[in-house]
Amino acid sequence: MAVEGMVAVGAGLAVGLAGIGAGLGEQGIGAAAVGAMAEDPGFFGRGLLMTVIPETIVIFGLVVSFLLMFM
Amino acid sequence: MISKIIKRTKISEWAYIVARVKVMKRKLIPIEDYNKLLNMDLNEIARYLEETEYKKEIDELAFRYSGVNLIDHALSLNLSRIYSKLIRISKGLPKDLIVLYLRKWDFWNIKNILRGKMFGFSNEEIEATLVPAGEFDGEFFKTLLAKESIEEIVNAFKGKPFYSILEKILHGARLSDVEDELDKFYYTSIAGLSAESLDSKYFIDFIRMEIDIVNMKTIIRLKKEGVPAEEIIPKIIPYGYQLTEDEARKLAAMEMEEIYKAIENYWFVKDLKEALMTQPISKIENALTRIWAERMIKKASNYPLSILPVLSYMLLKKIEVDNLRILARGKESGMSVEDIREQMVIV
Repeated sequence: MAVEGMVAVGAGLAVGLAGIGAGLGEQGIGAAAVGAMAEDPGFFGRGLLMTVIPETIVIFGLVVSFLLMFM
Repeated sequence: MISKIIKRTKISEWAYIVARVKVMKRKLIPIEDYNKLLNMDLNEIARYLEETEYKKEIDELAFRYSGVNLIDHALSLNLSRIYSKLIRISKGLPKDLIVLYLRKWDFWNIKNILRGKMFGFSNEEIEATLVPAGEFDGEFFKTLLAKESIEEIVNAFKGKPFYSILEKILHGARLSDVEDELDKFYYTSIAGLSAESLDSKYFIDFIRMEIDIVNMKTIIRLKKEGVPAEEIIPKIIPYGYQLTEDEARKLAAMEMEEIYKAIENYWFVKDLKEALMTQPISKIENALTRIWAERMIKKASNYPLSILPVLSYMLLKKIEVDNLRILARGKESGMSVEDIREQMVIV
């Protein structure tokens, strides 16, 4: 297979695996945030913030994939 | 691997219920407020409760009851609603465990109905003590209350595993013995289960610790009343956490001074030893309940993603309702602030 093809697969894996990892991390946080919000809507802001923290790892994946594709 | 990932998704079931319960726990009456409450009269207490989680129940019942009866009914109703809510908002294993724990209230209600009927209390008085939170709902207990004879009430449970215990009343057994057997049935049916996972082990250990506390209370109360060991031993519940059945039996046969020495190494003994010799029974029982609750709060924070935070909330809610009831009843009967404070368990 051409090198370009391998690079594209690598870029896809970087985003995809990071997404799965973030999803697994978020399941507990999201459930807890929704639980807290159901009891007290005042937790909305903090709950949302905590839930998206694992998303940062996806950004790393995205950056890696951009580097692979356009460097 | 996939099955492992699917299994791990159970974390979200715990996270959801524990987060909700933690927010609910913040709404419990803070310790500082008890000092204020102790200096209020009945109407002020009712008004205070109207500003808390009990508002809905007080408003709902205010046209039917007043004074201490209003507070009593509102507290029972709120407790059963909170328990039903916990069942409603949980799912999977957390729900199963909560339902299992709340079966305790079925037995509580059955005992109250039988006792109330036997001693001629009015249906309304009995109803105020009921907390329909377990397998049977409020409607079921209302139909039980409407029944005339004890026999009809007992027969309503035909086919249930504890029917053979209830049936003994019809054959002339003492009510107190039947009540003890019902308690024993409840505890052994849970504590006798083998833990399939770590989550259910936490739950079973909780029940076994509760058995320790119940056994210890039974032994101390009956010992102080001078009941002979032969009568205490049948009341002991097996499957204790640290206090095994054999050890509990040995304690039952000892004198108070020996018990004082023998229980030295048990988990519930903290702060209790001094109280044991000099204090009245009610204070010792309160001390045990407090030690129990404090231990649970600590354990719950050590194992946040488990059933323990939910159980510790249920325990604290029950203690709060009991405290408020003692407060209302004490104020009505004109007890002094100090006497009421001594009866309450403030954790």
